[in-house]
Amino acid sequence: MKLRETILAAALLALAVVPTVQAAGPAIDWDPAYGWQAGGTPTNLPLGGEFKMVGVISGFDVPLQELNALDPTKEYTFYVHNLISGGTVASGTPTMTFYETYFAGGTIEVYEDLSPDASFDPNPPNAGVPSDFIDGTMILSGNFSRFVVQSNNFTVYKVGNIEGDITWTGGTMLDRFRRIGGEICPGLYAGGSTWNTSVVPAGYLFRHDGKIDLQCPTPTTGSTWGRIKSLYR
Amino acid sequence: MKRIATPLCLFIGALIALTPQVARAQQLIIDYVGFDYEVPAPPPGQFGQLGAGYVGLGVVPNLFAPLVSDTASNQYTYVVSGMTVVNRQVFGSYVVIDYSPGMLSVYEDAKSGGTPAVWAPNPPNAQAPGSFTDGSLYLQGTLTGFQFVLNTANGSGSYEASCVWNGGSNLNDIPSGDRTGWTFAGATGNALNIPAGYAHQIDGQNFIVLATHSRRTSWGGLKSTYR
Repeated sequence: MKLRETILAAALLALAVVPTVQAAGPAIDWDPAYGWQAGGTPTNLPLGGEFKMVGVISGFDVPLQELNALDPTKEYTFYVHNLISGGTVASGTPTMTFYETYFAGGTIEVYEDLSPDASFDPNPPNAGVPSDFIDGTMILSGNFSRFVVQSNNFTVYKVGNIEGDITWTGGTMLDRFRRIGGEICPGLYAGGSTWNTSVVPAGYLFRHDGKIDLQCPTPTTGSTWGRIKSLYR
Repeated sequence: MKRIATPLCLFIGALIALTPQVARAQQLIIDYVGFDYEVPAPPPGQFGQLGAGYVGLGVVPNLFAPLVSDTASNQYTYVVSGMTVVNRQVFGSYVVIDYSPGMLSVYEDAKSGGTPAVWAPNPPNAQAPGSFTDGSLYLQGTLTGFQFVLNTANGSGSYEASCVWNGGSNLNDIPSGDRTGWTFAGATGNALNIPAGYAHQIDGQNFIVLATHSRRTSWGGLKSTYR
């Protein structure tokens, strides 16, 4: 009986072990990105309209850690497009209203450019936006399976968030996202947004401080009670 | 009447030209990423209950002028602390949570010989927040109006606060008239890398509001610029 209790306690202890997370940055981080939709406002992204974003990447970490976003001879940018608005839904009260817009479709492309030239020229699309963000080598591409923009009418600094799920499909560095077994880890596109006009260039709706983390499922290993017991013998 | 109106307009114009004008520009100074938790830890789905304490822990990979930093040699970390929930409002799936004033502290710790920051599970514990507060206090500010907006239906949201920088070894990097600003961040509970015991993954920025003074000039000086 005592042996059984010991084994059970050991097994429970093993299950309770939680990995510690060393502080590291996200796989991709940007400062900043801006989004726009023709005919849209921060509180109304009309049904059927296309939402787009361009951004300059400011940092990489595992599994892209050898890329140096601060190398002045290179530029890493991304372009989000083909997001079709399902219409903005308002909820709450007149003085505390929440605006939520889900989008269908959507793709993201990440580029490495050896001739840095991207700038957030006002009133996109224009000669530089998005063209200066989509030149160079496409190192990653993917499709959104979920994308949501959330804003409101009551925060002092006009703050909300933009978030989506990415299924990676291409690019020269796609294999970096491949886990043991060959699966490609999906990505989580997340971060805060603001429509405070003092930090948003003319013609854009949102500034987005965001990042992409890989959503790698933690693999489980099949085992038997015999094997678990043998670990403690 | 015209004789009076013309000199009057000129006089008012001169007053405007001679009065120092102050424009306000926003300057991004830090960008941070991390995770947050509450003390005491709430039951699942009960984030932001009245009286709960909020803590944010993370790294600051990017610091910008006028701050002077050395990210090659140092790890910069941030801690949001000292605030508790004072108001909680529910609107359908949305929750708006207001907090008492707190602090945003940035620490500088040498990569060589320092202690790497670790989001050890189920904080507070020996490593969290300890491994984020070691090194030297680089910059510290008071946060007021800290407000969280969460959509419990999709697990994501944001926060914002006003910030006044008032401490730390690098406080003087910021001119004394420019130490007020604001912070905002996205928060999500949908990231798979959130360690046990933490509530959200956080990605935020902090801006200061720079005063840009116009130069004094005279009518003669003004006219000469158009000759």
